[in-house]
Amino acid sequence: MAEVKTKGEVIFNRAAVIAVIVALVVMLTPIFWIAATAFKPRNLATTVPPTVFFEPTLSPFAKLFTKRSQLREPVEQEVYDNAAWWEKLIYDGGEQVVRNRKSGEVTSSGFGNRYMNSLIVSVISTLLAVSMGTITAYGFSRFRVPGEQDWLFFILSTRMLPPVVVAIPMFLMYRAVGLHDTHIGLIILYTAFNLSFAVWIMKGFIDEIPREYEEAALVDGYTRLQAFWKIVLPEALTGIAATAVFCFITAWNEYAFALMMTSKNAQTAPPYIPSQVGSGLSDWTVIASGAFLFLLPVAVFTFLLRNHLLRGMSFGAIRK
Amino acid sequence: MQRQLYRLMAGVAAIALSAPAAMSQELTIFWAEWDPANYLQELVNEYEAETGVTVTVETTPWQDFQTKAFTEFNARGSAYDMIVGDSQWLGAASEAGHYVDLTEFFNTHKLGEIMAPATVKYYAEYPGNSGKYWAVPAEGDAVGWSYRKDWFEDPAEMAAFKEKYGYDLAVPETWAQLIDIAEFFHRPDQNRYGIAIYTDNSYDGLIMGVENALFSYGGNLGDYSTYQVDGILNSDASIAGLEAYRKLYGFTPPGWSKTFFVENNQAITEGLAAMSMNYFAFFPALVNPATNPNAEVTGFFANPKGPNGDQFAALGGQGISIVSYSENQEEAFKFLEWFIKEETQKRWAELGGYTAHAATLESEEFRKATPYNEAFYQTMFMVKDFWAVPEYAELLTAANARIYPYIVGGEGTAKEVLDALTADWNETFKKYGRIQ
Amino acid sequence: MDTVADVMTRLEPNTRAAARGLSDLSIRNLFIIPTIAFLIVFNVFPLLYSLYTAFTDYRASTSAPANWIGLANFRDLLSDPFIWRNFTITAKYVIISVTGQVLVGFGLAMLLNRPIPLKGLITTLLLLPMMLSPAVVGLFWKLLYDPSFGIINYFLGLGKFEWLADPQVALYAVAIVDIWMWSPFVMLLSLAGLSAVPKHLYEAAEIDRAGPFYTFFRITLPLVAPILMIAIIFRTMEAFKTFDHAYILSTQPTTELIAIRLYKMAFLEWQTGMSSAFAYIVLIVVVAITNIYVKYLNKAKAR
Repeated sequence: MAEVKTKGEVIFNRAAVIAVIVALVVMLTPIFWIAATAFKPRNLATTVPPTVFFEPTLSPFAKLFTKRSQLREPVEQEVYDNAAWWEKLIYDGGEQVVRNRKSGEVTSSGFGNRYMNSLIVSVISTLLAVSMGTITAYGFSRFRVPGEQDWLFFILSTRMLPPVVVAIPMFLMYRAVGLHDTHIGLIILYTAFNLSFAVWIMKGFIDEIPREYEEAALVDGYTRLQAFWKIVLPEALTGIAATAVFCFITAWNEYAFALMMTSKNAQTAPPYIPSQVGSGLSDWTVIASGAFLFLLPVAVFTFLLRNHLLRGMSFGAIRK
Repeated sequence: MQRQLYRLMAGVAAIALSAPAAMSQELTIFWAEWDPANYLQELVNEYEAETGVTVTVETTPWQDFQTKAFTEFNARGSAYDMIVGDSQWLGAASEAGHYVDLTEFFNTHKLGEIMAPATVKYYAEYPGNSGKYWAVPAEGDAVGWSYRKDWFEDPAEMAAFKEKYGYDLAVPETWAQLIDIAEFFHRPDQNRYGIAIYTDNSYDGLIMGVENALFSYGGNLGDYSTYQVDGILNSDASIAGLEAYRKLYGFTPPGWSKTFFVENNQAITEGLAAMSMNYFAFFPALVNPATNPNAEVTGFFANPKGPNGDQFAALGGQGISIVSYSENQEEAFKFLEWFIKEETQKRWAELGGYTAHAATLESEEFRKATPYNEAFYQTMFMVKDFWAVPEYAELLTAANARIYPYIVGGEGTAKEVLDALTADWNETFKKYGRIQ
Repeated sequence: MDTVADVMTRLEPNTRAAARGLSDLSIRNLFIIPTIAFLIVFNVFPLLYSLYTAFTDYRASTSAPANWIGLANFRDLLSDPFIWRNFTITAKYVIISVTGQVLVGFGLAMLLNRPIPLKGLITTLLLLPMMLSPAVVGLFWKLLYDPSFGIINYFLGLGKFEWLADPQVALYAVAIVDIWMWSPFVMLLSLAGLSAVPKHLYEAAEIDRAGPFYTFFRITLPLVAPILMIAIIFRTMEAFKTFDHAYILSTQPTTELIAIRLYKMAFLEWQTGMSSAFAYIVLIVVVAITNIYVKYLNKAKAR
């Protein structure tokens, strides 16, 4: 169906495109700056005035994964030549890697482990929160529930207190039941506070799906559950995608509880990244490289879901 | 065939079960995440090489260190065997029973004599002058100053300075000179500023900075044994010191409103300021050409004297304590015995740790090891600390609330600020029954 | 008049449609009860514990027992002028930040709600600010705002303009960071809501030659309102709890948000009892405000 666009519409569309480009620039410049800093040699991170053009290096990433200390005197040429490429980068930065005296093993900074912990905890808690949230939302949306508004408000209220306040009792409770510093402990916690969000968002979306669809299905002989699975869920995919993205981001970046509830085994990455005080200066390049690597999974996850996020819902099918 | 299988399984089980028993002992030391912790990890790797006991230095960012440590203590957790705690925690931790009493250890090994007296007094003893000890001084630290030698030694600058102020431009020996030099080098249109000081009021940055002025002007924070604050905190000397710090703020770079050790080092590496205050622990970064492009021309000096000849510096640094809930206390004691040996202390200094061991500190070797060690050595014998009482954090909060608007916002006068703070602290002390 | 749903839920258990599979009642219970139970277990204990300590002088840093002191904490807090200032500062911040997020987020959604090339990619890119850890965002924006090292003054030619050092500007600076970080949230929800508006409604309006404003206020906005309200509710609640990036950016007295003061009270001064009382006061305020929003939401849905 060819449409003839009016001149006004063409101009408006062009203006919109320009506006989108401006928005992209404004929103993304800080991110570009972080990404750029992740590839800078340390001395270019905080120059006066800021350095915009530079030769990229991978040294921040080498530093991110290792424990280092200051070089007290210049490294011997022979040692330097025999070092691995990433160790050379660290020497160039005026530091050396901390090694275990006995085994000669490089002491890891622990970032890799923390990253894995973050992945495990975030993925599982997101799956749980989204699935539980969706079915609960469906329950509230389609069925009459005594005290519905109150229950919904209660669910919402679980997200109103700052984590600071809840931290100490949660900490004591976790210690008492042995959940301290465990993956399960964090998973439960993250699922709990993402649930309220998941329920509310999904209810918002499910409410918009006309009940006529399910009724038609029921009349056709489907059970309620089948109607839910085959009709409602596909329609609610946009909502599910959005909810999954937000829940994942929330769990992924969570700091306060990650700090309090874990120490050695289940520690996640967020408390680690901002703390790169290496050698008396904040090593901005290492912070940036950590932030950059940490951003990747979320960005990739969202990108993979982009079509579902934009799908929207199609009404009018039943009228045809 | 089945019998062989069973035997095999039994063998495997036996090996699996006996493995933990053959596993070596492990100790965990908790510290903040910074370079000295990395040096300590290097040092304790040598302990492992000697004794087979694995020692891990577990760290957490500075801003979370206090929170994590005390949360673990209050839960009576055994995650950490030892902790390199801040000197201010002595009161809170010892009164609550989190630290093991090390008095006997101290006296047996005569630590009071082999460690520098100031470190013993502030890192280990609580209450003041009680003879009870809770930590082994591990990392000595104090506030010192770095400066741009090239700016100071430039003949044109020296001539202009002499003309304006009537004396030679050199490393300041008094606070009056410090202020003059800061004023002289403050040239905003050239992107050059006079001085960099601490202004971070989220914990103790600002107050530690102010202490350097206050103490050297002859002022004090109060009487640590009687808890008297009136007439001491708001004495004329204290007021003069606070006013001096405010003057210095006028010569700092723009946006200098929440600065601590990171920004103050950046002031030197990025060529922003002529002088910069910082804890000695952060000076290694300044002499390393890879991290400081101005390393060759960076010099150091100790906190200057005040008008009455008083010379003090704010104390930093930590001591190692044994956590009372640790399950490896015997092993921890053995570690401490190794730690205090002279060779270990020397090695600690070599690796970059700021030893508190008096003999090592006084040695020519140590003092010449780096450009700032001499200043550090001098400073360690003239340090003063903040209150070490359990409610120190409330005192800090009140101090930050009163002093910050004056220094950074220019609100009120030094006298008003200190009078108000005196009232605040009195109230806090009354609340905890320290005074009537 | 009964809706079809009402009829469905009242079906007799042995009618043909409901004969196979679980009954509606059991499905409802199965779907709802686990979530509620889970939330009760993991929220009620900490809430009750905090409620208890709010009436005591408990300090988690000592092993001294907690003494019941009744309403003393509440009285102290409500008569403390600094606390009132925290509330006004937070209120101002919430209003600026949430308004900004809604304007920017919804605006972006309107812009993107048309066929444009690479829409999926652009949407993902615009979502990036929200994906960063707030602590990292705080750290880097502190650098960006710095008059000497930062690119904001550099690229905008603002010279030595003080963003964070100026007590008056600092709060706006923190709010700008919040708006930057969370507009994508509002944008995404709005986009989802916008793309769910039935196309035939727009076609009908076009046939009737309705102007863009009419279309927007009579068709678009009412249909997106429910989702937008949910976004606003959540962003408001989160804005009240703002801590991470604000604490790192600025600790000026003029930017001391409630959550910052709460953190200092609970973890720097270890006044556990007092901070619990403070938290409950905040909770009551947030509950009251959210209640108003939810009523609005229900009205919007009923329309």
